Amino acid sequence: MILALIVVTVVAVCLLYLLLTNLVALAFVLLGAKESAFRKLEDETTDYATLASSRFTVPVSVIVAAHNEERVIEATIRSLLAFDYPQFEVIVVNDGSTDWTLERVRDAFGLEPYHVFQRRVFASETVRSVYRSPEVPNLVVVDKANGGKADSLNAGLNVARYRYVCGVDADTVFDRRALLKAMRVAVQDPGRVVGITSQITPARTPERIMAAPPGKRPVERGPLFVFQHLDFLRAFVNNRLAWSRHGFMLCTPGGFQIWRRDVLEEVGGYSTAFTCEDIELTFRVHEHFLRAGRDYRINSLPDSVGVTEAPDTVAKLVAQRERWQRVIDETVVHHRRMWFNPGYKSVGVVGAPFYLLSEVVSPVFELLALGALVASVALGIFQPLAFLVVLAAMAFANAALTAAAILLDDLQSRLYRKRDLVRLLLYAPFDMVLYRPIIFWARMKGSWRFLRGDMGWYKFERNIRATT
Amino acid sequence: VQDVVFYAGATVLAVSFVAWALLGIVVVVGRTRFDRRRGESSRPLGSREARRLVARALRPVGTERGTWRRIAAFSRLARAHHPAAPRVVRQALSDRDERVSAAAVRALGEIGDEWAVELLVDALREGRVPRSRVASQLEHVYPLPAPQLVPLLRDRDPAVRFWAATLLAPYPELGESQLVLMTHDRDANVRAAAAETLGTRGGQASCTAILALLDDPAWFVRVHAARSAGQLLEAAATSSLVRLLCDARWWVRTAAKDALRGIGPDAVPALLAMLTDPDAFARNGAAEVLQDIGFVDSLLGDRSRSALLERIFEAGGEQMRRAAEERARRARRLEEVQAA
Repeated sequence: MILALIVVTVVAVCLLYLLLTNLVALAFVLLGAKESAFRKLEDETTDYATLASSRFTVPVSVIVAAHNEERVIEATIRSLLAFDYPQFEVIVVNDGSTDWTLERVRDAFGLEPYHVFQRRVFASETVRSVYRSPEVPNLVVVDKANGGKADSLNAGLNVARYRYVCGVDADTVFDRRALLKAMRVAVQDPGRVVGITSQITPARTPERIMAAPPGKRPVERGPLFVFQHLDFLRAFVNNRLAWSRHGFMLCTPGGFQIWRRDVLEEVGGYSTAFTCEDIELTFRVHEHFLRAGRDYRINSLPDSVGVTEAPDTVAKLVAQRERWQRVIDETVVHHRRMWFNPGYKSVGVVGAPFYLLSEVVSPVFELLALGALVASVALGIFQPLAFLVVLAAMAFANAALTAAAILLDDLQSRLYRKRDLVRLLLYAPFDMVLYRPIIFWARMKGSWRFLRGDMGWYKFERNIRATT
Repeated sequence: VQDVVFYAGATVLAVSFVAWALLGIVVVVGRTRFDRRRGESSRPLGSREARRLVARALRPVGTERGTWRRIAAFSRLARAHHPAAPRVVRQALSDRDERVSAAAVRALGEIGDEWAVELLVDALREGRVPRSRVASQLEHVYPLPAPQLVPLLRDRDPAVRFWAATLLAPYPELGESQLVLMTHDRDANVRAAAAETLGTRGGQASCTAILALLDDPAWFVRVHAARSAGQLLEAAATSSLVRLLCDARWWVRTAAKDALRGIGPDAVPALLAMLTDPDAFARNGAAEVLQDIGFVDSLLGDRSRSALLERIFEAGGEQMRRAAEERARRARRLEEVQAA
């Protein structure tokens, strides 16, 4: 009887937690919809032609950190060099690759080694050589000893010449107008805008997806890719637009992150003390500005700027997501002084607590729910009908939030084919039962590794491409 | 408890299912309608729609949504060159909301008639809208705004003088004497703009003024002067530019290196003289420029000049030697492949 009471209490607590997180998610959708609508109107009235040709448009240094990326690096660099932007440079940092990454880039762009005297503003591993291309004057390749992604970005920052720097992943292929779309916000208010990010979508072969024009772009086939696509949409459209609007945009993803260089110098650049660099830097910049009481903005935009390579097997997906969980745990715990602290404004009152409750603590509730399910079966109090109804309710609540994300994204970009939108909508209710268990497992693994102090990257193998 | 869970779950299920289905229908129907209307915005404005847009553009608004709808309305009218555009854009330009006035500046740039250019020049003078955005439009408008910009070089506001000097860069026949005078301006930004723009002129007075600015107390003025000196004076500027290789500021040293690279082989004698300079920055910088302009590579195959090469590598360091040797190896390999 007591055991049954405990099980019922646990179930009630878990359901309350679920209700709370879903209500918060719903509130974020409504706030995000408002932000999305304004950004669309802003986008429509922006004079991109002038921005793309004006000598007053702020130049940008794009930094790509690459470690064993021989399969994707050339396509990524070509997409970056094709940016429709008046003045920019591309700095590729080869982070001690053990495959043919450097050779591949060297051959593709006719690189020659040169010695460059650079500033050592940010600490990094030894730079072995700097390569430049006579054919592509705005491409610089830095070859350095392995030190991780943050270390590579710091090495790139030492070479960067411009006021804004854009860190990108080596496995992401970008839209020609990505920089232009993102930098429109910085051009409008360079004094306040210190950080910008925008939406990225996952696919098996990014270059194939990006080759299709807007309106005819496909969504990658295969349930694993569709579910990842939906996951990204929920994160970027349902959450980050609302966070951005209310000043607590706490995750500027490594795939596309623009920062004002002087701000990076103030906070000491990317930290190598964490598993990943992106979310931690965002937390640190917020903390730095809020502590000093300075006015600033970190914006997340709804425009889809690129396609990143997504894991094509469950094992690879778990490896990626457990790392994400670990870095969230590391960052949120490290910046614990911001939790529920009104001194840090919306970041302290909403942003950091949201991360704590929805990301760090959620594996605990998920584990409790699973334990309660097993215990109720063992105690003979399991009610299959009630269980199925609650499961279906959870699945459709999640599907409704996902459908909202699909709608907002389509209103914004009109990027995907109609039949793909229908496919995304039909997959949405199955996300809870087919995709979430994988993410649950990855989160458990990530949390466990965080508790053990494990900081390995566990990079997944790149997808096989038909053309290579 | 189980009954409560069951009924609550069933209610949530019903609501969520309806929400999912409705949102799905909206996605599909909305997209179908969009696809059907694709390209409609480039069609000429109908009179009814124009009336609606004019009313929306003139209506005072208090909400963010209303503000953006107003911006969209007058932008559309301007793009269509509608007769009501001047009136609505003029009113928007004087709006207190910076988003509205900035959008009006964009619209003026798109209209580009004489009256629009005049309004843009006025906006540059008044500074109610960020001047960088007005300048972006003035760069592209036709008729050219140059004659209206020359008087602004004598404006009392240094920000106006700065932008006028910057925008005059593409007009080498205008304002040279005033720009030379501006190299003595009290405001460092104005001096920097004058230095940059004089780099596109060719007179003796411009050259003298730029050389004088290489010793300006403000580091960013020296940056602009270095770039202009390299562009305008070429070989005649090398002795002044190599001095900047030991400047205290990294940006000045970088600008000097860029200018010397641009000058090319004519800069070699002055750079070789710097290889024994007591300042490490000067030695490094000179060696780096000699490497970048191909001088090091030209010496690599010539044994009689190996002493000179050693001096460069001494100044540039071991990494420079390794890089040069690798380039030479690659060049040899390429020749072999081509010969084969």
